[in-house]
Amino acid sequence: MGLVEKLSSSETSLREERLQPEPSKVIDNEHFIRAAFAESTGKGFEALFRLYYQPLFSHALRFVYTREKAEDIVCDVFHDFWKSNTYDSMQGTFRSYLYAAVRNRAYTYVRYELKEEKNTTSPESSEHLSEANNPESLIEYDELYQRIDQAILQLPAQCQRVFMLSRFEGKKNKEIATELNLSLKTVEAHMAKALSQLRKAILTITILLQWFS
Amino acid sequence: MEDQVIKNTVHDYFAGRATPLQKKVIEDWLKDAGNHEQYYQWLHEWELNHLQGRASWEDAFQRTQQMLHQEPEPESILQTDDTPTRWWNRTSIRLIAAVLVVAFLGVSFPAIRNLIYYQTSETGYGETRKISFEDGSSVTLNANSSLRYPRFGFGEGTRRVELRGEADFQIEHTPQHQPFIVSIPSGLEVNVLGTQFTVFARSRRSQVTLRSGKVALQMKQAPQASPLVMKPGDLVVMNPSGKLSRSHTAHPEQYASWKDHHLTLNRTSLRELASILEETYGFEVEINDPELASRTATGLLPAENPEATLELIAELFAINFTRHDNRIVFKD
Repeated sequence: MGLVEKLSSSETSLREERLQPEPSKVIDNEHFIRAAFAESTGKGFEALFRLYYQPLFSHALRFVYTREKAEDIVCDVFHDFWKSNTYDSMQGTFRSYLYAAVRNRAYTYVRYELKEEKNTTSPESSEHLSEANNPESLIEYDELYQRIDQAILQLPAQCQRVFMLSRFEGKKNKEIATELNLSLKTVEAHMAKALSQLRKAILTITILLQWFS
Repeated sequence: MEDQVIKNTVHDYFAGRATPLQKKVIEDWLKDAGNHEQYYQWLHEWELNHLQGRASWEDAFQRTQQMLHQEPEPESILQTDDTPTRWWNRTSIRLIAAVLVVAFLGVSFPAIRNLIYYQTSETGYGETRKISFEDGSSVTLNANSSLRYPRFGFGEGTRRVELRGEADFQIEHTPQHQPFIVSIPSGLEVNVLGTQFTVFARSRRSQVTLRSGKVALQMKQAPQASPLVMKPGDLVVMNPSGKLSRSHTAHPEQYASWKDHHLTLNRTSLRELASILEETYGFEVEINDPELASRTATGLLPAENPEATLELIAELFAINFTRHDNRIVFKD
């Protein structure tokens, strides 16, 4: 069928098996972070950034779908944590604290951003992490980012493309119109549709939660 | 429930694939606050295995340090909204402030200077991009890859870029014999004078394939060690433990076939193909049979878009697959 073209070759296959995921156990692998903190606060935070910034950023991205915003959120969490001086008296791991704080902030931001009238309330991220850690909140956060993902996946292809160019690459509607050879109106319509789908997804979860609580 | 079972369920749940009953189980499990550490540990693991985008922790670290050092009024920087009434939002003041800050940072901190002098080009899943430099050299980035290079040209000294992911390089020799260095996250550096080669720098492996010219490989941490000099057709693989192994290929250009939207298979197992699909298109691939995973194929596979590529792979291996969003399952 012409698909398979025999390739003459004498090389040996060099590709390797993929690495197995690590075994699952709560290992307190934060010893070295505490050791770094003992040396200096700067060293401690450097270790924290090195270990957790990338996955936290990735996680925030699931909520906000904008690189800049995700970076802002994670940096703000680190920044506040640094300023608060609570890193000296941590109960539990840094990991739990940082994930809870980032999720809380991202969640608050998304709910605020997609509200119809933005001006009425400003985003106030309640850093009451004890509250953010009750089982309902944990699940609420997880469902939120999953719904956002679903909503974006279900957008028509072109609409999804426009949305990703706008949000992920920070392109202006005009630039997107030129790049995709669309009229500005069409791009605006795609964006409006994408945002309305997102709003719906977030609204649904709010209603569900009210229903069950 | 056993730990492993719960872990798998929780991972499925993070990916949005848990049934309502499983969710209930997890919710009950979470009622025990003692399990929260475990929950975040698994979330962390899962996120590491399913990164949505790359970001530089170094830049973020610098930025946060800066915020701490130079904020007279902490409130202003913490704002996440863009209310137009803030004084610093006025364009002229922001511009002046920006210029001052940039000048100050550029002079005072080498790390920040890097941030200003360098830019990063990044490709999404399923995207390739060609970057051309003033000296006539060019780099083609494969999907899900990023290249960091000087914003204002290479200048007189060494031409230096940093790569994550996969890229093909065509490097021009300059009259001043300026070396061109590609460094990758595993610490390997490719030192070039003018040549064509392909670099693969992802988490599962680092690999350099040389088509023409000459390059020298060096570990960043061991600049005094004698470099490994590659000849055309050489293929050097560095495994995750840092061991280098060299072999020879008659067709080094195959390692850049993605540039023409092809996948070159050479006794390539379905398992490897799954990794390639994950890296290139962001799929999550499962093969429900180890025997199937080790089946291999040889040939040239057109890979114009993810859908067609999947169909062709299924046809080539004479297997079936199911697709739910980004999740692919291959089965016999």
